Amino acid sequence: MSTIPRVSSAIAGEPAHFGSVLAHQPAIAESFFALYGRFWGSDVLAARIKEVARMRNARVTECGFCRNVRFDKAVAEGLGEEVVDDITDGYETSDKLTDTEKAVLKFTDALIHDPELLTGGAKAALQRHLTPAQIAELGLGVTLFLALAKALITMGLEPEVMDRTVLPTPAVLEAAE
Amino acid sequence: MSAVQAALAGDPVLAEHYATFRANAEAALDPALVALVRDAVAAVHGMARAPDESMLDDRTKLCLAYARRMPFEHTAISDAEASAVTAHLGEAGYVAFSVVTALADAECRAAMVDLPGLAGA
Repeated sequence: MSTIPRVSSAIAGEPAHFGSVLAHQPAIAESFFALYGRFWGSDVLAARIKEVARMRNARVTECGFCRNVRFDKAVAEGLGEEVVDDITDGYETSDKLTDTEKAVLKFTDALIHDPELLTGGAKAALQRHLTPAQIAELGLGVTLFLALAKALITMGLEPEVMDRTVLPTPAVLEAAE
Repeated sequence: MSAVQAALAGDPVLAEHYATFRANAEAALDPALVALVRDAVAAVHGMARAPDESMLDDRTKLCLAYARRMPFEHTAISDAEASAVTAHLGEAGYVAFSVVTALADAECRAAMVDLPGLAGA
């Protein structure tokens, strides 16, 4: 895995990072950030649940950038580091993750790693804890987290070192609406 | 329609945003290459037949070889492989190619867990 960018920044004066590299394709960038803002801004599914899935994806795909970023809305909803620490193999036995979060993690593993993990029991648990609309939103999120992480990694945008960083949760830009 | 788009049937606004993003990513590349990439990635997942490469030029074959590594070997793609694709598509093209390929993989996976069925779509 390369930590040397394979694409230059398209924004003068900025280093190569996801946003500055995506700026090579303004239409893709604009539509992605509008989508991502709408996704995170929706309250159909709590930000904490979305962040639990994003953290799991970060660990499985080995995305160091994703793994070190926290979105503030999820932190405000109680997703502390003691909970994040349990989003690892063996999460099924965690006493810090809720049953809903464990069902979400099983679904996340199935989508990003092995669909066979979504057994009858796991599927029933997911549908017991989440409404169809919440599952649709979760599915969109995991799809985007996975694609984003893989695009980021393959473009060489992984940081060599990075401290844990709390960022504002992506939001819909009023002008884009 | 992809599994993700189908699952979002109950949220037209989010569905429209997703469709626009997907369409913009695909519009940045040759439609023939997009179709080949989608088929190559789907074939890795056992969801489609691998594209017939007998009539393709070497540069397109390089792109497809790269795309086939996205589902299970994304961390092993080398600088040389990335450089070869960039030499063919240019930097902006490589960015779009990365997004389209990664999204193709993720969409296959969403279909494999039957996301629309789970979401009651």
